[in-house]
Amino acid sequence: MEYNLENKIFFSRLRILQAIILLVIAVFSLRVWQITVARYSYYIEQAERNQLRRIDVFAPRGLITDREGRIMADNVNSFSLLLRRDRAECVECTIEEICRELGFDRDRINAVLEENRQFPAFRPIILVERLTLPQVSWILARYREHPELDITESPQRNYRYNSLASHVIGYVGRISPEELDAPGYDEAKPGHSIGKDGVEKTHNSTLMGKDGVRTVLVDSLGRIQEELAFLQPVKGSDLTLTIDMDLQEVAERELGDREGAVVALDPRNGEILALASMPGFNPNTFSSGISQEEWSMMIADPAKPLLNRAVGSVYSPGSVFKVILAAGGLETGIIDEKSTVICRGAVNLYGRPFRCTSSHGEVALKEAIRSSCNIYFYLLGQEMGVDLMAEYSHRMGLGEATGIDLPNEVSGLVPTTQWKRETLGEPWYAGETISVAIGQGRINATPLQIARAIGLIATGEATRPHLVLNRPGTAGSSAGEPVNIALENLDLVRQGMWSVVNEWGTGWRAKVEGFDVCGKTGTAQLISRESRESLSDEAKEQFTHNAWFAGFAPLAAPEIVVAVIVQSGGGGGASAAPVAGKIFNTYYRKTRGLQKEQPDESPSAGAGEQS
Amino acid sequence: MMIHKSLRQLDFLLISSALLLLGCGLITAYSLSQGGTGSDLHLKQLARIGIAFLVCLFFLYIDFEILTYYSVVLYGFLLLLLLGVLFFGTEINNSRSWIGIGGFRIQPSEPGKIVLILFLASLLGQVKIEYLRFSKLIQCGLLGMAPVVLILLQGDLGTAVMYAPILAGMLWMSGIRTKVIIIILLCMLLAAPAGWMVLKDYQKLRIKAVFNPDLDPQGIGYQTRQSLIAMGSGGLLGKGIGKGLHAQLGYVPESHTDFVYTLMVEETGFIGGFAVLLLYLILLWRMLEIARNARNRTALLISVGVISFFFSHLVINVGMATGLLPAIGIPLPFLSYGGSSLLASAAALGLILNVNLRRFANT
Repeated sequence: MEYNLENKIFFSRLRILQAIILLVIAVFSLRVWQITVARYSYYIEQAERNQLRRIDVFAPRGLITDREGRIMADNVNSFSLLLRRDRAECVECTIEEICRELGFDRDRINAVLEENRQFPAFRPIILVERLTLPQVSWILARYREHPELDITESPQRNYRYNSLASHVIGYVGRISPEELDAPGYDEAKPGHSIGKDGVEKTHNSTLMGKDGVRTVLVDSLGRIQEELAFLQPVKGSDLTLTIDMDLQEVAERELGDREGAVVALDPRNGEILALASMPGFNPNTFSSGISQEEWSMMIADPAKPLLNRAVGSVYSPGSVFKVILAAGGLETGIIDEKSTVICRGAVNLYGRPFRCTSSHGEVALKEAIRSSCNIYFYLLGQEMGVDLMAEYSHRMGLGEATGIDLPNEVSGLVPTTQWKRETLGEPWYAGETISVAIGQGRINATPLQIARAIGLIATGEATRPHLVLNRPGTAGSSAGEPVNIALENLDLVRQGMWSVVNEWGTGWRAKVEGFDVCGKTGTAQLISRESRESLSDEAKEQFTHNAWFAGFAPLAAPEIVVAVIVQSGGGGGASAAPVAGKIFNTYYRKTRGLQKEQPDESPSAGAGEQS
Repeated sequence: MMIHKSLRQLDFLLISSALLLLGCGLITAYSLSQGGTGSDLHLKQLARIGIAFLVCLFFLYIDFEILTYYSVVLYGFLLLLLLGVLFFGTEINNSRSWIGIGGFRIQPSEPGKIVLILFLASLLGQVKIEYLRFSKLIQCGLLGMAPVVLILLQGDLGTAVMYAPILAGMLWMSGIRTKVIIIILLCMLLAAPAGWMVLKDYQKLRIKAVFNPDLDPQGIGYQTRQSLIAMGSGGLLGKGIGKGLHAQLGYVPESHTDFVYTLMVEETGFIGGFAVLLLYLILLWRMLEIARNARNRTALLISVGVISFFFSHLVINVGMATGLLPAIGIPLPFLSYGGSSLLASAAALGLILNVNLRRFANT
């Protein structure tokens, strides 16, 4: 070589370069060994987790039908709009465009986006549910311009009667994080619709199907390349309710825009025939995803449309309580059929006057019930004392939840001396007993409890009210337990109740020709006597009383119990009895194969003429 | 011509390892075609190999002395071309480094590496003393940096970075004193924070992701992480040709170019990955041998430039795929799909074979 001078440094540096190359290749080889062999199992699992995606295919919920098989809740295939943020050039622009073109609610979509911000961009977001067909076709037509938009089809709950029986059915909604952790929702996954109220909630596990799973191979953008397996979803079981939609419809129509509740049940087996609470709500608004605004409005509504007044609200039973007290009085032997009191319109007890509605003169039990004489029951209550009254109230099922298959049932209150001492730390005052004797004061109950108590009087048997029709042959709660009150005593009470409706008693407006309706009205004071004094006479009647009617029919072999409360409805005989009369009438005509009564015929016209 | 007679003098071990690497590249291209990503990548690549063969012959045929003699012209032409790209180029993947010539689109910065090798060899080949003078160092450094600056202006950091090893390798081999090297390194260390400031956010993130691959798995660490998953799921023997699902489903980006090694390892496992590394070892080993037997200083510098070229690409590319270095998008010579890189590799191979062929002073 011609450059001997430099040989030394060249060759030594070439050797260094050689060593570096050898070292680097060795390091790389070890590194590749580490990745492919040493950590193989870790990476293979990661690879599968990336490539295999399990897509839940939501199972449709079971149908809900009434006792005659009329479908109350089914499922419709609903189209939802999906957004894949990773495919969007500009999410904002797309949202802007679809809101403008398709009229979506911008705030609602923003809320959905905000909720999903935490998830990776390739995970599709359900932006809007229940698309209309024009919306679907608009989106499908722009598939090329908007690869980030997609349409999916999924079953969605549909309530055919809208708000009718809304408190019985309830509604479905997306499962909340708290519910995911709660027991009973083991099958549910995020994004699932579950029952949030009504039988949708209490029978959720029956109605909810078993979701299917599609196992697919996806590419890095989440696009499905191949379907590897498909486990078909299993539809939920159908639910047949004990509700009769004809009666339900009458109940809700007759309550109209008044706040109140109606319970109709079969006292022989506890089947609920109608259960209405007004105002109601349209459960369909929930299945399509309710906005925060709509929800806040519902919650803030003073009429509380989401409250099921039939089971979730307590009211003073008012004079309806008198029939329970009468049964107790007979059973204890404090009174009998012939015991009488003299009613002069008021009585002085413990130094203060207790009034009656009028001056009834000498009354025995039957007349006391018929004319709802307060004096008779003041004195009976005074004789029995609050604790004995409580004993018989409990035998009639007051003060404890009925166990109906509806959520949020409350148990009401039957006061005792012990209760007051323990919870309020005060002694029981004798004057309070007198108020309780006519269903005022501390005692309160739900309309359902009242209906059940009337059922007990009607049949002498206790049944558990329920909403799901037991299929023939299955063991159920159909058989009643005998109540601990002598049948002949109950019969005396029943005679009084018959008289209330059929012998120009306070409940004559509930009369149905040929059906022997028995019942009791109640007009429960909402505010204390003192504050009532400040109101005008008309306002007193109108705004200060809840109107009750509770009864059963027919007398000989009771088949149906109806309890009606109309809030601020004034007198029970005037407001609540006609509602009950309509229901008895509808039931009577339906079961006896008669034609439906003309809707324009007023209830009082049919009931009032004879006897 | 003496060529035919002396063809036997060529280093066939070197040529075979290069051909085998090309074969591996064709197989991965074929595999991706099977996967449905492209229709017939391997056929396109085969056509390019044909052209590359001619380029290789050109750089082998013309005496390297002549090539270095005219390298100043090539260098001037390169600078003009890079300037042209800067103003009239086509933008692909955020960098304006492509230019259309006829029906082709090429990246002048790739063959520019070859021009740099020849030009530096011509500059440094004239030096007759053992240690490089400081003035010469500055001169070569500035001339070497000129195209790098232009490429950086195009926004192609990856390619620009690849000029540095060539420059450094050739300067080092032409005899920079060790103390000068230490001073330069110290200066660079001091300048590093300033350099860090110049880097764009995404580039900083890439460097951070090297030290923490789980950093934002959907974002910047994503490429590295997916590359590791793909390789790791290949195991010892691989999933088989055409069955490298992970890379083919798009989890590993650019799996036919920058991440070709990832796909190779996923489909052929440790064995395939190791084989590729071995082929490179043989390739570089033979090139070192050629350098050792080079006829003169120019020949030696050309060899060292070519070695630096291949070795730096291997280090950066495989380092990136195995998560040892930041994700910089550069091709793996002979394996990666694509024309510009292949042409540069073929030219470099031609050059070193040229040196190999003319190793005896009077042939």
